[in-house]
Amino acid sequence: MCVEPGCCSAGVSTWRRPRRVISEGDLFLHAFRVNGQCDDSTMKCARCLLQLQCLVSWSARSAAQYGALLKPASSGQPNLLHNTQHQVLRSFHGSPACAKGRPVPAEFIKEDDKKRNKSLLTYDDLFEQVAKEVKTKATFNRVVDIFIKRDVRRRGHVEFIYAALKKMPEFGVERDLVVYNKLLDVFPKEVFVPRNFIQRMFNHYPRQQECGVQLLEQMENYGVMPNMETKVLLVQIFGEKGHPIRKYQRIMYWFPKFKHINPFPIPQQLPEDLVDLARLSLTRIANDLDAKVTVYQLPCTDITESGEEVTLPHVVGIQSPSQMELLAKHNPSRPVFVEGPFPLWLRKTCVYYYLLRADPKPPEEKVEEHYDPERCLDYPLQLDLDLERDLADDESFSVEDLDEGPVYAMCMTGRGDQTTLNQWISGLQQNNPILGQVPTLFRLDTGPKELQGASDGESCHHSPDRDTKREERQTKEPEVIVEDEPRRSQGIKQ
Amino acid sequence: MSLPKITRLPPARLLGSIQHHCQQLLLPSITPLTVPRRAIIQSEYRRPGKPKEDKLPWQKINFSLSKGLDGIKKNFALLKKEFSDRWVGPEGKPLREHMLEQTRVIWEFRGPENLEQWVVSSDSEIGGQSEAYLKLSKNNNTLFLYGTLNSTPPRDGETRYSGYCTMRSKQSLASFDRKKYYDWTNFNTLHLRVRGDGRPWMINIGTETYYSHMKDDIYSYFLYTRGGPYWQDVKIPFSKFFLTHRGRIQDEQHPVWLDKINTIGFTLGDKADGPFQLEIDFIGVSKDYAHTEEFAYEQFKRNPEV
Repeated sequence: MCVEPGCCSAGVSTWRRPRRVISEGDLFLHAFRVNGQCDDSTMKCARCLLQLQCLVSWSARSAAQYGALLKPASSGQPNLLHNTQHQVLRSFHGSPACAKGRPVPAEFIKEDDKKRNKSLLTYDDLFEQVAKEVKTKATFNRVVDIFIKRDVRRRGHVEFIYAALKKMPEFGVERDLVVYNKLLDVFPKEVFVPRNFIQRMFNHYPRQQECGVQLLEQMENYGVMPNMETKVLLVQIFGEKGHPIRKYQRIMYWFPKFKHINPFPIPQQLPEDLVDLARLSLTRIANDLDAKVTVYQLPCTDITESGEEVTLPHVVGIQSPSQMELLAKHNPSRPVFVEGPFPLWLRKTCVYYYLLRADPKPPEEKVEEHYDPERCLDYPLQLDLDLERDLADDESFSVEDLDEGPVYAMCMTGRGDQTTLNQWISGLQQNNPILGQVPTLFRLDTGPKELQGASDGESCHHSPDRDTKREERQTKEPEVIVEDEPRRSQGIKQ
Repeated sequence: MSLPKITRLPPARLLGSIQHHCQQLLLPSITPLTVPRRAIIQSEYRRPGKPKEDKLPWQKINFSLSKGLDGIKKNFALLKKEFSDRWVGPEGKPLREHMLEQTRVIWEFRGPENLEQWVVSSDSEIGGQSEAYLKLSKNNNTLFLYGTLNSTPPRDGETRYSGYCTMRSKQSLASFDRKKYYDWTNFNTLHLRVRGDGRPWMINIGTETYYSHMKDDIYSYFLYTRGGPYWQDVKIPFSKFFLTHRGRIQDEQHPVWLDKINTIGFTLGDKADGPFQLEIDFIGVSKDYAHTEEFAYEQFKRNPEV
């Protein structure tokens, strides 16, 4: 039942390397080159090579070559190994399309060596050589074109694709579907399509299929959805029932299902402007459509008379009517706290916000508020219907409610020091005159800290009568006396 | 549908320890340039290059007197509780309450003893650099899971992905270390009260399985957090959970078998390097009569069709 998308890797393990070695000499060497760094496999390969030498009658020349190859491999000196190995193996580097063991003329080897430099990771170098100065999509495409044009048989395309996949983030094309399709196009067409039922039954060209799956997996990881062109390419390369096409089908089945699943969606491109970003994140965390965003200060750079450059950070705050009402009811003898910074993640960017909050009310100060049922006649504020309830109608959880104290306002700023936040508080004071009487304490951290002391959602849940509340507030406002000298100017730093 | 019946059979083989479950979630199954290995018996994760432990089975057991005495005390207390609970009703609740139950709080965090029911792990077990810690938050009433995520893969030549942090509940045990399961067949919704920092999490439900190759099967769904200072009530119907095995979605899907739930876990792996935090007030299950969906994914056709 566990058919994994990556199950072709499991299939590969049934492919016994030594047996294959004897039949197809250069395919083995091909694998040897790939595994060059691994000492263990080198030793194994060396043993296999000895067998191979016994079985096949090699020419004296090539035997000497391989002898030279074996020595450094067994002595375990990686540097030496790279060089010698490369010299010999360069030309053996065969695509499976023309994989048949045959001795290789020496002049071919030399010619090959001149063309490419002596490294195991040839295709990494190809990328480095072509894109020396700028790494863009255009240069990436040029590398792929160079590879495609270099050889009709596309020798070493599996290694090339692996190298290209690894280089994609560097070139900034990891989310580009066109580039993925172009990479898939590197595979030779119709060579790996199984032609009879036996081939179809076994894992036909496992390395190539694995590579194709890997490419699709990288697309999946970066959230790139394949299109019809990808499918056509995959069918052309691996046939209709290969592992890559299965992987494609899985992606096409699950991706659309989970595409719009996030109840709090974040735009793919976050706004560049800091004020816009703050506005977006504050409305996200406030979770109240009535909450009003206020920009207290725009970011600007001034040059004072003495020539100093003064950068003013942005200060953006949010406050909802219910929060204002809560703040208006705050007991002025108890302090309010400015706390922060708390982290908020929007995809891969982290922004920080600050809170204005108070400690929970002590139990003796809590007053049960009764709505006057006749305050609003066409919109009953309290429903006390004696419905005939079933025995099993209790849907509440038997958990004690948390009381963490109310949140009065939130803000985001470019610089989280006390002077900047003071600006926010004095801005808030225009609408919340009570702040003039309340001592304000600053509890600021250098780093992000644990969230504590948020209201129990009271400000966001209890808002059926928001409009009436707002009216009330407006009527109340004239009564409040505004003190001219706020005490927060000597905020106590804790 | 013969499979649900299978789970009711007695388990032939005990599962591996819970700690090792979590770390296998995000392992890649393809390693491009090395020879893939597939063991016949899926054993616990062993880091590449680490030698096999050369110990006889009894050498791993701790034969100490104090441990034995503690075990006797603990197990007999549990046994006594089991006997006395039977007299009250099923699961220690009166029958009436048991039958009319619409909601149940499974885990809440009201003290340090609740933290002992959880295991935290991160990719540092496979050689990564993430860190995750668990503690009670400042009001001592909620759980606070925090740490840093780092998705740099370990340099062992095989592991390709890294960067996860996980919290998983421990297997609940009855007396003499018999497994105890949660039976949630009366409920259809998972109800959580969380406060996160905007990161998406994944909720994993582990159920009891019969065959050993199914032991890493877990049912997963996403938990999106809003961020900010307010708590968030999340209701996830069980019909939405899909079957995964070692971090891969399976082709053949079926609803969660709710009769034998072992564990619940929370995994973070959103590839955004940096600090994270998640607060959980309680985890409960409820019966939502408005929700009638049995399974959210197609079952009539296998995907992809073979």
